[in-house]
Amino acid sequence: MAYKDFRDFLDTLKKEGQILTIEDEVMPEPDLGSAGRAINNVSDKSPALLFTNIHGYNNAKVAMNVIGSWPNHALMMGLPKNTPVKEQFFEFARRWDNYPVPVERMDSAPFQEVVVNEDVNLFDILPLFRLNQYDGGFYIDKACVISRDPSDPDNFGKQNVGIYRIQVKGKDSLGIQPVPQHDIAIHFRLAEERGENLPVALAIGCEPVITTMAGAPIGYDQSEYEMAGAIQGEPYKVFTLPGTNLDVPWGAEVILEGEILAGVREFEGPFGEFTGHYSGGRRMPEIRIKRVYHRKNPIFEHLYIGMPWTETDYMVGVNTCVPIYQQLKEAFPNEIVAVNAMYTHGLVAIVSTKKRYGGFAKAVGMRTLTTPHGLGYCKLVIVVDETVDPFNLPQVMWALSTKMHPAHDVIILPDMSVMPLDPGANPPGITHKMILDATTPVAPETRGHYSQPLDSPVATEKWEKIFQDLLKN
Amino acid sequence: MTTCPRCDSTEAQMVAESPVKGAWTVYSCPVCFYTWRSTEDEKFTDPAKYEPAFKVRQEDIPNATVVPAIAQRIK
Repeated sequence: MAYKDFRDFLDTLKKEGQILTIEDEVMPEPDLGSAGRAINNVSDKSPALLFTNIHGYNNAKVAMNVIGSWPNHALMMGLPKNTPVKEQFFEFARRWDNYPVPVERMDSAPFQEVVVNEDVNLFDILPLFRLNQYDGGFYIDKACVISRDPSDPDNFGKQNVGIYRIQVKGKDSLGIQPVPQHDIAIHFRLAEERGENLPVALAIGCEPVITTMAGAPIGYDQSEYEMAGAIQGEPYKVFTLPGTNLDVPWGAEVILEGEILAGVREFEGPFGEFTGHYSGGRRMPEIRIKRVYHRKNPIFEHLYIGMPWTETDYMVGVNTCVPIYQQLKEAFPNEIVAVNAMYTHGLVAIVSTKKRYGGFAKAVGMRTLTTPHGLGYCKLVIVVDETVDPFNLPQVMWALSTKMHPAHDVIILPDMSVMPLDPGANPPGITHKMILDATTPVAPETRGHYSQPLDSPVATEKWEKIFQDLLKN
Repeated sequence: MTTCPRCDSTEAQMVAESPVKGAWTVYSCPVCFYTWRSTEDEKFTDPAKYEPAFKVRQEDIPNATVVPAIAQRIK
């Protein structure tokens, strides 16, 4: 099943009791950012937020925390809202294998209702606000940014849909953070080498599957739209923006059309990041917006980001675990069981694996570091047995406390690559990395006394079912 | 023109007024690109009260780290 657009998903959240509409007047600052932070503090089953009465605005609506909980993430995939995280992971991985699903091309789009061709003032069009108190300005932080590879512009797979932090710096100008590991940085470098600006479109207020894929580390020539089709189980609807070769999500609330300016870097930030620290100020590329499309009374979707857990962590949790899992399975198809890389976008990853021989689990840890995502994250990789559920942290702690021997099972690799926002990196972009082997030693490693593992009493499963049935009512 | 609370430039300008008249005004600084709304707490709008650790010195701006590096033009 697929959601037609952002509003269709909000309707589902309403039916499922997973959205809170706040009709009382709120201040843009500090209420919106504070509420976005608070809703993740109170529960991991929290609802989305829809603000309909913002001081100083007439008809503005701001939606936050749209997939900021496991129930909302399950609903994004069309699953029952109480689906356990591990089941969401395996279902996501199963659908991933259906890639690619060709897109459905549409002749017109709802966002063509209103077109602004001149005198663009983003402060008038969008209810912008400051999220964290020392952010350098007002940000757009959940837009799908679409660009094409200038060296291969007809290659649909190389067209990129990604989410990047974007500071509104003037009426029609934006700052963007394309760190070198991002696909859009490749597009921009190729354009800059030609002395050309890079055309881009920003889609705000999309249904949640494309947003999820835009935040996933898929291959450079893999299409986020064709992967979104695989995840939602039917072709993804796109619309080619008139006068461009950019395909945008058909159901978007707002589209900003512009260019990243070649050779220009301007001061940007700081911005409170997913590491729980501000980024500092840096000189980064500028986007000039020349046209805006939007629905009448568009809903502005925003995302709180800061110290985990926030909506960001739910959004880039499963969609980061699955590609690492798929890449590890390419190397070790009969051993890898599951991957949990949900901690600070995978700076910590937990891999559950069978062992072929002594030392094998350490090799799995090494391979995790060399996956595309591992190159910039995976500072700590914990490897556990196939019987340990990597999504069950008490089980992982048990494995660490009983299976790991510090003299044999701690591997530290000096001066590896990491994304520059890691506040512990020194210099930025470089860190030591660590593998903790918390698996049971197997031959020829025979150390320890692991020959008598404790199993559950024989009727435990029967009793689990009995209790599950009794507790349902 | 008004003074930027963060970098103390005097070139900040109004960029928006509230759709409901008189509710607030948004200002933006073309030097450090700080943006603020008149209804925010004075520690975000008053140059004398802005958190010193987050102040920006105008002379440091040209030396800030460039991300990503500007690509060399290939003819």
